[in-house]
Amino acid sequence: MRISKLLQMVPAALALTLSAPALAGDGAGPEVPKAIKGEECVEPTSDMRRNHMEYLKHHRDEALREGIRTKQYSLKQCLECHVAPEGDPQAPQDSSEHFCMACHEYAGVTIDCFQCHATQPKETASFHPLVTPGMKAIKDQAGRSGELLNQFAESHASKTRTGAIQ
Amino acid sequence: MKKTLYTQIEGGKGFWALLAGFGVVILAGLASMYYMEHNGHWVTGMNNSVVWGTPHVFAIFLIVAASGALNVASIGSVFGKKMYKPLAPLSGILAVALLVGGLAVLVLDLGRPDRLIVAMTNYNFKSIFAWNIILYTGFMAIVAIYLWMMLEKRFNKYSTSVGTFAFVWRLLLTTGTGSIFGFLVAREAYDAALMAPMFVVMSFSFGLAIFMLVLFASYRMTGRPLGDYVVRRLKNLLGVFVAGVLYFVLVYHLANLYATEHHGVESFILTSGGIYTMLFWVGQILLGSLVPLAILYNPATGNSRGWISIASVLVIFGGLSQLYVLLIGGQAYPMKTFPGYEVTSSFGDGMIASYSPTLPEVLLGISGFAIALVAVTIAVRHLRALPASLADGETDPHAA
Amino acid sequence: MSEDTNLKRREFIGNGAKLAAGLTIAPGVVVYGLSEASVPDRPAEEPASSERRWGMLVDSNKCATGCDKCVTACGEENGWDDSEPNSSPEQKAQWIRKVELRHKGTGKSHSLPMMCQHCENPPCVDVCPTNASMKRADGIVLVDRHRCIGCRYCMMACPYKARSFIHETLTDQEPHMPRGKGTVESCTMCVHRVDEGREPACVEECPEQAILFGDLNDPDSAIAQALTRYDSTAVREDLGLNPGVRYRGI
Ligand code: SF4
Ligand code: SF4
Repeated sequence: MRISKLLQMVPAALALTLSAPALAGDGAGPEVPKAIKGEECVEPTSDMRRNHMEYLKHHRDEALREGIRTKQYSLKQCLECHVAPEGDPQAPQDSSEHFCMACHEYAGVTIDCFQCHATQPKETASFHPLVTPGMKAIKDQAGRSGELLNQFAESHASKTRTGAIQ
Repeated sequence: MKKTLYTQIEGGKGFWALLAGFGVVILAGLASMYYMEHNGHWVTGMNNSVVWGTPHVFAIFLIVAASGALNVASIGSVFGKKMYKPLAPLSGILAVALLVGGLAVLVLDLGRPDRLIVAMTNYNFKSIFAWNIILYTGFMAIVAIYLWMMLEKRFNKYSTSVGTFAFVWRLLLTTGTGSIFGFLVAREAYDAALMAPMFVVMSFSFGLAIFMLVLFASYRMTGRPLGDYVVRRLKNLLGVFVAGVLYFVLVYHLANLYATEHHGVESFILTSGGIYTMLFWVGQILLGSLVPLAILYNPATGNSRGWISIASVLVIFGGLSQLYVLLIGGQAYPMKTFPGYEVTSSFGDGMIASYSPTLPEVLLGISGFAIALVAVTIAVRHLRALPASLADGETDPHAA
Repeated sequence: MSEDTNLKRREFIGNGAKLAAGLTIAPGVVVYGLSEASVPDRPAEEPASSERRWGMLVDSNKCATGCDKCVTACGEENGWDDSEPNSSPEQKAQWIRKVELRHKGTGKSHSLPMMCQHCENPPCVDVCPTNASMKRADGIVLVDRHRCIGCRYCMMACPYKARSFIHETLTDQEPHMPRGKGTVESCTMCVHRVDEGREPACVEECPEQAILFGDLNDPDSAIAQALTRYDSTAVREDLGLNPGVRYRGI
């Protein structure tokens, strides 16, 4: 079964499993998959743990309603680093291997983000999380210089990402 | 006239059996709702052309009837007709109950009923829907206060002024419900200034029909005396309201026939619309208006409670038909996006849209009635709302 | 003039390819250079502004009966082409559709794409109880699905039948275009592309260049120029909604 299918079923399953381990306080914690890209998140991990929903919600309203398209707190961007695209060997096979869902299932917090949002990045975008229009157009037009472009993309990507963290 | 004595109904076997019966219907409605929400609305008859289906027919009927059910109380306290006064508490209770039933159906048919909290925290004050939410909650609050004034002796003196306020509010509310359609500029069937007043008269008729059935049933089941005087007055009133609706329907269609631009939708409803034409002539006009009028005014049947009840049921059926024709027929008829052109597309442009109701939609709709009736049953069990007797001696000012 | 635009773009892309080797030093130049063709770029942190109003001019004279390349392009771009296996054809979403017209009196026929017309005074926005239907500062009308409760009032109110309700659970959405069960959706004018400085997918894919996209408020834009030069109409002009999408040849 596809991961996205599985995620759809989570809310129903959640009600039943409502985080028995969390209540029991066995101290094991959820097994959250490691990020597949980058070393640091856009904010310190402790901050993200506590406040990611606020960041996401704030960004979502700005992005959709006002057209502010910064990447720092975008859900799509979370997935770019935290979830491998479909077909990738690291891609989650069920919800317990999905960065968001593993923790949310553990904590028993139902979210409906993934009823609408894609659960994984697409292959094309994963070539570089910050595909700029210029690069995409050039890549489409001059496919053969792809090697060079990829190198460029990689270096540009790491620059931007660190930029966002500071 | 003697002072009216109000008492609660007994909580015996009959009471519980009644609750259980309605409970089953409500459960069926909830199961339908779960089925539709879990799968998505593809399991219903709705589609991208007919977006409001059978649940909306029931919901709007109940909401319209709710404001009409308050009428009996208004006639008593606002217009000072003595005979209606003892009926006022039941009238108020029924009004709130019907509104709750209708709103429940409306909410349970949303695409995302789980987001109700979003609807309550984000208001678009330009939206007539949002206005209606205020009108509905206000209605419940005002009628609740009104009931309190009526049932609590020491507040009785205020009941007339609160009653008047409630009456004005109910007119606003029905106008608001009618305006939901009035704002749809592009839909020909709804493009009529007559819509709002027509809804007001419809509410009188539907509300009274339900009120009479509930009154008859509760007095029969509790073995309380209900005199012919009350029955006769109510059935005459119902006759007037049914005739009133018929009159508005006539004017509405004549006006549409007069305006050339609306000929298409008129001939669709009146002659070529298949199920809609049939429901219009047979359901709305014949069974829902003419037959009840004949029953109510024919001396042979007009004095029999059995026949009057049948007439009331027919009025309800006619009302549902009327809303079905108006709501669903109005959507099935294609919008005129390109006047003067024959239009075709893969999205149903220029075509009569298809819609057939499915069982879950009907069950959800019917459960709205059950919700309302459960609420009434519980209310009259716990509030002293029903007069112990409505025998002629109690109500008829001319009786000895 | 739409030829003009395309010429410019092709020219530019040629340059772009030549430039590829030098990219590492000046990526910004490339990005800005591209967008000048028809869609000016806007920095990511800047909100959409009412100084712009995005619009389209559809030339139905160029639009061929039977061609539905714009429809296919939109479906693939936004992921609605094959996403609802359970829904009936009447229930499936259609953000854009081809409409065939035949004049009842003269028999003259036209073919044209219909989609959300991005009204200046959108009835869908007026009636939406939760403000989920909204108009962005730059005139693009969107559904905020975080707020949509699926009441379908907007679908009742839209005179162009531009909106679709999602009747079933969706999976595998496009990452840039979230959409899901129980909410309403319609053409977004490819807002995700426009914000990146790209044209909407239908505009790009039309083999006849029948759709011109641009800023109606900029008197120098190709679309504004074309609108001053040629007759054009809004569909149901009588309703006074002032749509951002206009048509030539009907
Ligand atoms: S075309 Fe319809 S959906 Fe689009 S803005 Fe106008 S009313 Fe709204
Ligand atoms: S369906 Fe959604 S977008 Fe449309 S009116 Fe209702 S809440 Fe607004």
